Amino acid sequence: MITLWHYLAVAAALFGIGLVGFLTRRNMIIMFLCAEMMFQGVAINFVAFARYHGNLQGQVFVLFIIAVAACEAGVALALFLMMYRRGKSLDATDWQSLREMGVPPTVDTVPLPVEPVTEDEHLAPAGVRPKHVPTEEEAARV
Amino acid sequence: MSDPIDLALLILGLPLLACIIAAYLAITKSPAMKFAHVPLILGCATGAVLGIILLLKVAGGHEHRWISDPMTWFAAGNLKVSFQIAVDPLSAIMLAMVTFISTWIAIFSSGYMHGEKGYARFFAIMSLFVFSMCGLVLSNNFLLLVAFWEGVGVCSYLLVGYYYEKPSAAAAARKAFLVTRLGDVGFLLGIFLLWKMGGWNTSLTALFDYMTKFPPDQGELTAACLLLFCGAVGKSAQFPLYVWLPDAMEGPTPVSALIHAATMVTAGVYLLARCAPLFAMSPVAQIVVASVGGITAILAAFIALAQNDLKRVLAYSTVSQLGYMFLALGTGGAISPIFAVTAAMFHLFTHAFFKALLFLSAGSVMHSMGGVIDMRRFGGLRKLMPVTHITFLCGAAALAGLPLLSGFWSKDLILEALTKASEGNRYTGGYFVLLLVSLITVFMTAFYTFRAYFLTFWGPERIPEEAGHHAHESPSRMTVPLMVLAVGAVFVGIAVEPFNHKFSHLLEHAPTLLQAEAASHTEKIPHHFNMVLASIGTALALGGLGLAFLMYRKGSETLPAAIEPVFALSRNKLYVDELYGAVFVKPAGVLAFLSSAFDGFLDAMARLISAIPRFVGWGIRPIQNGLVQFYALSMALGLTVLLTFVVFRIAR
Repeated sequence: MITLWHYLAVAAALFGIGLVGFLTRRNMIIMFLCAEMMFQGVAINFVAFARYHGNLQGQVFVLFIIAVAACEAGVALALFLMMYRRGKSLDATDWQSLREMGVPPTVDTVPLPVEPVTEDEHLAPAGVRPKHVPTEEEAARV
Repeated sequence: MSDPIDLALLILGLPLLACIIAAYLAITKSPAMKFAHVPLILGCATGAVLGIILLLKVAGGHEHRWISDPMTWFAAGNLKVSFQIAVDPLSAIMLAMVTFISTWIAIFSSGYMHGEKGYARFFAIMSLFVFSMCGLVLSNNFLLLVAFWEGVGVCSYLLVGYYYEKPSAAAAARKAFLVTRLGDVGFLLGIFLLWKMGGWNTSLTALFDYMTKFPPDQGELTAACLLLFCGAVGKSAQFPLYVWLPDAMEGPTPVSALIHAATMVTAGVYLLARCAPLFAMSPVAQIVVASVGGITAILAAFIALAQNDLKRVLAYSTVSQLGYMFLALGTGGAISPIFAVTAAMFHLFTHAFFKALLFLSAGSVMHSMGGVIDMRRFGGLRKLMPVTHITFLCGAAALAGLPLLSGFWSKDLILEALTKASEGNRYTGGYFVLLLVSLITVFMTAFYTFRAYFLTFWGPERIPEEAGHHAHESPSRMTVPLMVLAVGAVFVGIAVEPFNHKFSHLLEHAPTLLQAEAASHTEKIPHHFNMVLASIGTALALGGLGLAFLMYRKGSETLPAAIEPVFALSRNKLYVDELYGAVFVKPAGVLAFLSSAFDGFLDAMARLISAIPRFVGWGIRPIQNGLVQFYALSMALGLTVLLTFVVFRIAR
């Protein structure tokens, strides 16, 4: 017999894994996925309680959550794309410039291994890099 | 057009129009600025012609007062203030005199101020000055009168501070404004007291009618009169508030002439003459007025004895002569107020001529001496400036009260009033002392006037180096007004009073004065020439002249050791400024220092309080380090703590 407790346990596990992942990982996409996991944990909670109480409120709520999460995914991924274009990195700690004035930036005590940047070899024809070297202004605007 | 009210409004409007035109020129800085004097001269000249027509109309007809229909200015509860003007002999005389004198001063200024920076500004303010004075003279409502009264004050502030880049001029302007303001406080209080006592009227005529019909409480009336007198003391530079007038010499000389002769200082005398029905009912107020006048007359005359600045001598003489006018006004309860006011107004009238003349002559001297006005630095100018010399002599002789000149007649009238007042009434002794004081002042007046004259025009010719190429007679634009005013100073007295009594007949019909006479229960005094008094006055004046001649005919000042201390006292203005400095300014300074210290303390407290959030902010600022993980961790921890708290708290 699968009781409410089983559902809650799964939801708590999902939420916990998501939380830990969100706090420990620095890759923005992973962080985003972890946040989604937390969402789903909560959603399972809702559904479980809806079933337990025998009404539809929790289920309606979950529908809302899924809709909001979908929107959020669109916005967040677009944001990450732009940030990657500017910084050539998905590391969340690279974006510290909104800290308080006068507070020193946080730097890694052990520097991250530098991955060599390789030229994209398999770009689709539409994504062909322009031949000319970008001017300084263009580079700044990208 | 023939209606006196229309005429009066036209006279009032012309200077205002001139002011607007000149102000427009000054603001737009148009090249026509050098013609800024034209509107004022034309306005004043037309005003003077109309003023004389008005005067003849007032003197000729059977009716002696015209009051315009009231136009409500503002009303609040019992306080109803309307724009209303009144033409009666008193205001007609003032109006004609103000516009006439102003015309010649304006013509003189167009030469004197030639090429000055702010030429148009000068004439704009002069026009406004004349406008305010005309309005003051005409207004038949106390609050309207106050408005013009303050307008006169503002104009004097602006003109005394005309050279506002000069710190001393700015300080003098401030002093003039603040000291007169001190009197104005009393004036306003007096008006509101009268308003309360006089059946909630602010109109002068209605108020007087009410007061004569329902005589008010003696004590209250005296208080109201004395409060009104406060305003007059400030404006007309009487003891103890006279200190601003000599400092007002910082303004251009024509301004001094205007302030001393036509506008501003005569306002106080006029106010008291206007309010004669009130003062006539209060003998106490009258003796106070007379005493203040007497003290001022002798004090200022004493200070004038040893001043080295030509304009300051004249300024103190104005203060002293205004004291005379108040002496005359102060006799109004003891003798017929008509006689008292006639004496005062007649002196005001003649004084306007010779004081304007003396100031303009001094201005002419100053102009040709390159701005130097210290009598020790020039002398013997009678060959260099023949016209100025003669006109100054006319003015000086008239001021000293030499026989047959205008000053002689008016001063004689005042002495006569004092003599009459010292016969048989409550304050006989007081008026007798004041008569003696005024006789001594006659002597001193003659002495200091001719001291200035001899020092400036006699002896070997001395010219300061600042004069440069200016050291010659002034242009005709300046000498013609001098000559006209000199003729006035010599003949205006004899022309209107001693033989035909035109002046006193005119004032005899003034309704307010008739009211005053009825209220004071005094008898009419016939006009006859008092030979004894005139002889004493003449002898004293000639004595002063002779003494000045003996001491100063060489054109330089060498004092016998015996009188040096007296002169030192006079030269230092009896240390009145120093006394005021020690008694009023210093304590005020200390108070200001304490206030500023307290203010500093309050500021420190405010800063301390504002420092608390800043300190807290400084403490927790490092938390906002821009790391998303850190924020998420904080949130998670906070949530944990909250949840722990909620769960265990509720579980228990």
